[in-house]
This record gives sequence, structure tokens and C-alpha cells, in this order.
Amino acid sequence: MSFFDLKGTLKPLTALKQFGRKPHTLKDVPYVTREAADRYRGFHYNDLEQCIGCGNCATICQNQAIDMVPVEGIEGKKGDSGLRPRVDNGRCCWCGLCVDVCPTGSLSLTKDYLYVSEDPNSFLWMPGVDNPQGKERISFFSTEETSLNDFARIPMPELEGMERVKSFAEVVLGYNEEQARAEASRCISCGLCTEACPEHMHIPEYINAIARANDADAVRIIYDNNPLPEMCGKVCTRRCEDVCAIAHRGEPIAIRWLKRYATETVDNADLIKEIVNPEIKEPNGFKVGIVGAGPSGLTVAYYLALRGFDCTIYEAHAKAGGMTMYGIPKYRFPEESLDKQIEYIEKVGVKINFNTKVGKDISFREIYDTHDAVFVGVGFPKPWTLGVEGENLKGSIQAVNFLYEINNGKRVDLGDKVIVIGGGNVAIDAARVSRRLGADVTILYRRRVQDMPADWEEIEGAEEEGVHIVPQAIPVKFHGDEKGHVISVEYVMAEMVPDERGGRPKPVPIEGSNKTIEATAVLGAIGQQGDYSFLEEEFAEKIKIERGRFVVNEIQQTSDPKIFAGGDAANRTADAISAIADGYRAVKGIEAMLVKKDEGNVD
Amino acid sequence: MKEIKTKIIERIKSHFQDAVERDYDYNRLDFSVKKETIPSILFYLKDEMNFKHLSHITCVDWLEEKEFEVVFILWSYTDRLQVYVRTRIDRDHPVLDNIDMIWRQANTYERELKEMYGINFTGLEAPEEFLLEDWEGPPPMRRDFDTREYAARTYYTRPGREDAQDVRETIIKRTGEELPDFAKKYKR
Amino acid sequence: MREKATTLYFGPQHPGITGNMMVRLKVEGDTIVKATAEVGYLHRAFEKLMEERNWLQSFTLLCRFCVPEPDPVEESYARAVEMLEGREVPERAKYIRVMVLELARIGAFLFWYGAQASSLGLHTVGQWSIGDRNYVLDLFEALTGARIYHMYIWPGGVRRDFPEGFEEQVIKTMDYLEKRLNDYDDLLFESAIFQKRAKGIGIINKEKAIEWGVVGPPLRGCGIRHDMRIDDPYEVYDKLDFIVPTGENGDIWSRAQVRRQEIRQSIRIVRQVIDKIPKGEYYNKIPNPQKWTLPKGDAYAHTEAARGEVGFFVASDGVSTHPRRAHERGAAYVHAITLLEDLLVGANIADVSEIMFSLGTCPPEVER
Repeated sequence: MSFFDLKGTLKPLTALKQFGRKPHTLKDVPYVTREAADRYRGFHYNDLEQCIGCGNCATICQNQAIDMVPVEGIEGKKGDSGLRPRVDNGRCCWCGLCVDVCPTGSLSLTKDYLYVSEDPNSFLWMPGVDNPQGKERISFFSTEETSLNDFARIPMPELEGMERVKSFAEVVLGYNEEQARAEASRCISCGLCTEACPEHMHIPEYINAIARANDADAVRIIYDNNPLPEMCGKVCTRRCEDVCAIAHRGEPIAIRWLKRYATETVDNADLIKEIVNPEIKEPNGFKVGIVGAGPSGLTVAYYLALRGFDCTIYEAHAKAGGMTMYGIPKYRFPEESLDKQIEYIEKVGVKINFNTKVGKDISFREIYDTHDAVFVGVGFPKPWTLGVEGENLKGSIQAVNFLYEINNGKRVDLGDKVIVIGGGNVAIDAARVSRRLGADVTILYRRRVQDMPADWEEIEGAEEEGVHIVPQAIPVKFHGDEKGHVISVEYVMAEMVPDERGGRPKPVPIEGSNKTIEATAVLGAIGQQGDYSFLEEEFAEKIKIERGRFVVNEIQQTSDPKIFAGGDAANRTADAISAIADGYRAVKGIEAMLVKKDEGNVD
Repeated sequence: MKEIKTKIIERIKSHFQDAVERDYDYNRLDFSVKKETIPSILFYLKDEMNFKHLSHITCVDWLEEKEFEVVFILWSYTDRLQVYVRTRIDRDHPVLDNIDMIWRQANTYERELKEMYGINFTGLEAPEEFLLEDWEGPPPMRRDFDTREYAARTYYTRPGREDAQDVRETIIKRTGEELPDFAKKYKR
Repeated sequence: MREKATTLYFGPQHPGITGNMMVRLKVEGDTIVKATAEVGYLHRAFEKLMEERNWLQSFTLLCRFCVPEPDPVEESYARAVEMLEGREVPERAKYIRVMVLELARIGAFLFWYGAQASSLGLHTVGQWSIGDRNYVLDLFEALTGARIYHMYIWPGGVRRDFPEGFEEQVIKTMDYLEKRLNDYDDLLFESAIFQKRAKGIGIINKEKAIEWGVVGPPLRGCGIRHDMRIDDPYEVYDKLDFIVPTGENGDIWSRAQVRRQEIRQSIRIVRQVIDKIPKGEYYNKIPNPQKWTLPKGDAYAHTEAARGEVGFFVASDGVSTHPRRAHERGAAYVHAITLLEDLLVGANIADVSEIMFSLGTCPPEVER
């Protein structure tokens, strides 16, 4: 290279040809802002209606830029914490993870990226409240495809439909360990479910324990406020799953099956006691009598026994469990499973007097006088009648009675054509049991299938097993033969008329649409009611009963302060978990009444 | 690749009795050795086995086991193989031989490990401070150093966000759920 | 007569330095007799923070390891996590990743054009190349939603698929850049100033290069053809056709030539990706990030970035949802300290920033 490099000096001068070119920059900067790309990650926008305040955005934010705060005009309710995210734009890095983990898809990012202010405090924004105009500018959002939430539930292994009807073997096979871990891992731990659970079980905590492979911890957490978790794990109405955050765009976490998984890892009552290792207090001298060994009664007995009370349950039947023993078919809830839990409850010191019908074998008065408090959890044993002609013909049976007989190990001859009337869980249970006895089964229900109060999984299960469902069918008459045995059911089709007052649509019979269906047996399942004949007159007068239920206060106390009540006979939701919740409240009520009052006297 | 891997494993095992090998199905070799063996195995890998390139030196703190795991990652340009050489050292007296005469850049890695984990490399010549300045606390990358606590102590939080609520606690308050201590124990 | 040595602090605030670091120079007259790299000005404890975050949250920190070219770090982390978990990545995602990596390389080289030229006072190049790099950033904005901090390559694949019309946009930009590169040749590589200042300066000893851990363009500038894209083909590099250019002398000029040719190869790769990319899934979804745990073990994945081998080491204890250890191997980590200290000895003060830029030093990556 010579000292003077002519080419190297002149070549760079060719840059001069760029003189005529337009500049890179926009013309009117800074007066016109540049429009961002269609996928730009700018300021947040939150659809306040869609948002459920689960707080998953705040959890994932690694900059702790998101706070959950109450907003004016949004009340918390079941499935909505009432809180909404607020973003500290001074900390946010617009990674958009909050958007990708938002289960409802309400949170998104917009194209807006310019905000200038001298006030540092003005960078705290409530997306959707402070920038309503953002709705039109959404650019980065999550779809079901892009979302990081795991929307698909791990399928529950089940017996195949036609295989099931051959026996009373348990239909649902339960998750294995790997499946349970995977299912538990879907949970985002928001805790919205605990509000929907009548008993407010500690759901995120035990699911998390399962996800972390700590089944024993999960069992301990579950037994903290539910003494019959294996029963709940199999047959709970699981309101928790209805409000699951993931359910907004996917299938809810299988909370019930996870509870089932955790409790089933413990084989017997001794092991339960070893794992739960309950702290049983010294006897405090108080005696509590409990009428009925259903879920509410057992709950009261278990937790009071742990607290040092002397508990005695009076049960009319030979086995404990109430409706969960005699009403739920064994393919849903096997007897061993229940026995294990009852045995465990007895192990903590609860006494159960079986075959002791209050009012017959022992008087209520005696229980009342010999105990410091009485809990009545008698349930709804008496079925409602249909009120149609021919209902008393032979072969027309009440479904609950039928299920009682079957669960008691008796045989019931139904013939080969069974008609079930009703659309609740009892109706479906009766239908599926009848299928297992070999009959062709038809369910007549007055409303549409989607209106059925039964669990949708149960309805689906029934259909898979070959149960025929005739919706919008109102029975009007049962026909009998000369021996007085039912031979057919006459019913009328109904149309659904919207309720003017905004209630659910009503079925109105269509005139002349009568049809008749052959039957060898008819099972009525349109609901049950209470039977309080065991109460002596003085109690019947003293205790307030309205619409067939005990009137109780917030601690399940009836109008007689010494008598508490719970379960179906005291609540309107009529399921096992509500009964357990009643029992748990009564435990606190009874403890407060007896122990705290006692301590008060000492002072 | 399989044959070369087998050959290297055989030769390493015959030279270094304490080498425990772990098998991977991609181009990775993995040997655990005693800490005394580190310089000689690295020398051997570099000079005899053609692992000329030192990719990385790192340390993992196994606090529960009271040990540091120091990992050397080498790369062979000729055989296109990666070898991990790892050793465990006592967490309370972390001492390891300096290897910057084998690879010059190891000096920088060792400086960092010394500062962040407190590992003493015998014979390491380097300025005392690396990334930290006037640091008096424990080596900060050790797992028992609590970053959150340090940040809370050292920096202040901008006021104006005290009204933030926890979703779970809001619901507990509303429903009256009694959540015993295990909420903390089995942390969400 | 021997001149008295003076200590000169070069940085940390200096336009000729690659970021916030300092080189303490001992000079005799104009000649450096000893250089010490001083870092510690932007240590942000990212790796410690990653141990406090779950596997997914950690990924948002990665782009901050090296701002001019963040994607190789994201990719190596993602791949290390995938290796540890054994997670498959869909074919389409691999192609998209390659394209993102190559676009990042183009962006980084354009950035380097400007920086290298500016270190010599040729500021026109910088103004052009930063402007041209913006066209690459436009592509990133359209694809990832952000210009600099993409946070796009994550474990399991990539975050979003191509937006509509993206392929055409890429081709258009590549056409433009290819034409434009000739202007840079005229302005920079043909320039007498650059030639005279670059040739024979900052020579890396070829024999020492590998032993000193030199990687990337500085290594290839010595005439050693090593590139992780070919040596240890990751993603789909083994299905693409490109050459790895090398230099001869190991000086600044050789390194510049390597980069000048490599940017053209990158454009070639991007075009091939557009041609070959298959249809299908772009993401193999990870489980719920809050509860996502990885099996016990560790993994190290390395990626060829514009500045050399970038690697990520992750270790998991198998129980926690957080990394037990996450440690980046940065190319600059080696170049900016031991190598730089060595190269500066004997150089002139005026060459310091030129040498630094030619090595691709990146202080944020040194300190993390």
C-alpha cells in the first residue's frame, strides 16, 4: 500500500450519491407518533367484565409490577375476587407473560407506547379503568392456542359404557400418580374455588401438595376441615369446579378427582390416623348427642371428638353414612371406601349406636336431657309422591327406597322395562342401577336435558350405558293390569315457555300430545322431604321449622339453643359437602356455646 | 460418534480410577471426579483427547448437601464432543486448584467463582475485586444469601402501592375460611 | 531514555468504549505497557434473580444479557431447558428460531459496522447502519411485538407464529440490505482510513487463539474455521447451505472481512428459511409455568452468536419450580478481559476502542 491510496480516498466519496435520498426518519416526528406493529407489546388493557381477578398476572410478573386492588363498582362474588390488576408502568418490562397466563383472556397489550408525565405517581395504571380507549388498540393478546394455561383436563380412566352395566364395579378408575401430578400441575392456585365450596376446603394448598408429590401433606390439608374426603372425592357436587379460573376457556381442574387420588393413596383407617396424626385434646367433660350418622352428623362428631368432647351418634340403620351409604349406588361409591372413613372417625373416639332409631329405640327427650348439646342431622328420608293416577299400583316404587334396598344387598325385581321419573341425581342413579339389573331404562323428565339438576357427568354416563332419556315429558297416568300391576305410563309432551318473571322456563303440556310407554316398573324420583315425627310434641312446638326445614342461625343453632341442626334438613342445597359445612359450623357453634361459656363462668 | 465416545470413556477410566461416567445419548460425555484429579484430568483431556476449547466453568450450590459442584465444560473441535467434568467440594472449606495455566480464560471464571461463591483457587493470581465493589457480605451467589432480604434492606420501595391485596387472602377474609399454618408450609 | 509510565483510565464513560466498563492503561508515551479490564459497573445479578424465578419467568431476563443481540441467549437457554427436560421442538419452530438468530446476527453486524467505523471517526457509517438496522428491528417488531427485547424464543418453541405477510416483508428487507451492503463496502471497507487503521493492528496469535478461548469472528479472523453452527449443528443449521468465511492475519482487518462476508451469508440463510420453512406447529406447549419442574440434572447448550459462542448452563434440583443454577457463557466474557488485556499491550491509545469493538466485547454480558 502506497502512502497515498487514491482509490481508498475516492471510493468513500461515492456516499455523496445518497444526497438525493429521502431520510429514514418519519417526516413529522415528533408531532406524529409512529404506528406500532400489529403485534406490538405496549400498555396493558384489561376487559373488566371478563376479568375474574384471579391474580395470575400478578403471580407471573417477575418485576412485581402488578398489584391486585379493589375497583369501584366491582363486587366480589363466587368466581370473582372483585380485585383487578393495576400495573406499575415504572416497573413493567412488557414481556407480556401476564397476557399469556391470563386464564380468561381479558388482559392484553395495546399498540400505545407513549406516555409522558412529570408526576412519577401517575405511572400506576389500572388497565381498562384508566385507559378505556385501549379497547380499540389491542395488539398482543392470548388465544386458546397461544395461552400458557393448560386447558385440557387429563382424561379420567373409566370402564367402558357397556362393560359397566354388567356389574356394580366402580366406574371411575381414578388417576394414577403420573396423571394426578399432571392434573394438579394445571392449577394456577388462585383460590377462587374455595369460595364456591360450601365447606371452604383448602383447595389450592392440597392441589399444590399433590403437584409437588407430597401426597401425605395433601391428605393432612384435606382432613383439616373435611372428615369424609374420600366420599367427597368420589361423589361431591363440586361447585368449586364451576368457578375454576381455567374453566373460562378450558376444562376446569379436576379438583374432585385430585382429592380422590390423594385420599385413595391411604389404604386403611390406621394409616389415615398415622398420616393425619390428629391432635386429640384432653376430654373436657361435655357430652354431645348426635341424631343421624350422615355426613353432617359425622363431621360434628369427628371435630368435636378432636376437641375433647364426648360424642355419641344415634343411627337408625345398621351402617353409618346416611344417604351416602344408602342413596348412592356402589358403582359410584364403594362400601369399603366409606367403611374406611367411618372406622377412622370411630378411632378418634366417636361412639356410634347403630340400629337405634330415635323416637322408637330411644326418645329424643332422653338424648336432650343426658347431653350438653344435641345435633340433629336427620336428612330428608321421605320421598315426594308424584300425585298422578295409578301411582299406588304394584311396580310403582320410590327410587330412594329402591336404592336403599339395593344398597342393603337385597334383590328387587323390576322386570325388563323400567321407567324413571325425574332428572336429579337420584333419578340417574336409579336408572343406572336398573340398567345393571338388566332392564331397559327410560327416563321421563319434564324439562330439557340441559335443565336436569343431575351432574352432567352422571347424565353422560347414563347415556353411555344405554339409558334412554325422554325430555319434556310429564307423566299423567300409570296404567295397570287386572292384578293391579303397572303395565304402562301415559305422559304428555311439554313445550318450554319462558318465565315472564325471569325464572327458568316452565314446561307447559301440549294438548293432545299424549303418548304411552310400556313399563314393568316405575321409579319415582322427584325429590324427598324431612320426617320429624321423632320429635316429641314439646320440641316440635319449640323448634321452628319452615318449609320442611329447621330454621337455624349462622352457627346452625335452632330456636332451642341446646339443639343444633344441619344437612339436608337445614339447608337448601341438599348435598353432602353442604352437610359437612353445616356440621363444621355447628362444631364451632357448640364449642363456643359450651366451652367459652364455661370459661366465662370461671372468670 | 458412539465409538469415539466409548474410546474416550475407556481411556479416561483407565487413567483416572475415580472418574465416574454418566451416559447421554447426544454428543455429551460426563465425568465426575475427586477434586484432586481436576487439573490432571483437564490436562489430559486437552493434550491427549483434543478437548482444546474450554467453554465454561460453573458452580452449583447444593446447600442441602453442604457441597459445591464445580463443572468444567470442554469442547473438542476435532471430535465435536462436549465433555463435562464435575467435582464436589466441601461448602465450608471450598478449595480447588487453579487451572488458568491450562486455559488462560479460566482466570476470569475463577475470579467470578471466588467472588460469588467464595471458592479459593490455590495459586490464582488476579485482582481481588471483579464484579462487586466494596462488598463485605457473604458471597452473594451462595444460596443462603437472601437476595430479597438484601434488596429490602438496601433499597426502598416506592410508596403508593400499599393497597395491593392478595387474592387468596381476600377470599379467605370474605369466606371466613380458617387456613392453618400449612398455607405457608406448603407454599402456593 | 525510558519514559515514565502514566496510568490512564479509559472509561467507564467514554464514547469509544463498548458499554459501561473501564480499561486501566499503563502507558509510556503513546504506547500501552499494561492493560487491566475493570468491570463491575452494571452487575445486575441476573443469575441470582433467575434462581428466584420460575423457569419461564427467568426467560424474560435473558434478552438483557446482551442488548445488541439478545436472541442467541434466549435460544441457548431455551435449548438447554429442552435438553434437560427432553422436550421436542416442532420443525417449524426450529426454522423460525434460525431466522430470528440470523436476523439478530444481521442486526448485530450492522451495529458493529457503525461502532467500528465510529471508533475511527467515520461517523457516516454509523448513521447509515443504525438506520438500516432499524429495518431489521421493524421485522422483529412485526414478529415478536418488540424491537429490542424480543422475548420470543422460549422453551418449547417460539412464542407466536409469523404474522400475515411477514415472509414478503422479510424478503423485501433482505433485498434492500443486500443492495445496501455495497454502499458500505465503498464507504468503509474501501476507505483508506479504515484500511490503514485496521491492518496489522490487534493481531491475535493464531496458535494461542483456541487456548485462550477465542471464539466467533476473532477466531475465524485468524484463519481457523470454527463455527458452532457447523461444528455442532443445532436447530436446522444442518439443513441449510452457507459457508463460514475466515480471515488470514488475525488483525482487525481480518475480523472486519469475516463480518463483512458473514452478513451476506446470514441474508442467504434467511432466504433459505423462507423457502424451506414447513407448515405446522410452532410451539410445544410447556405445562403451567407456576408448577413446571424440570428433572434433576444439568445441561449446557451453545449457540453461535455474532460475537462468538454463547452458551447457557442450567441445573435443576428436580423438585423446585426454579432453576437451581443458571449461568451464561458469554463470548465477550473471554474477549473483554483476558484477551483484551493481552492485545492492548503494545498498542497505541488511539487503537484501544478500535480493538475493543473488533472483538465484539459486550460489558452487560460480562457482568450479567
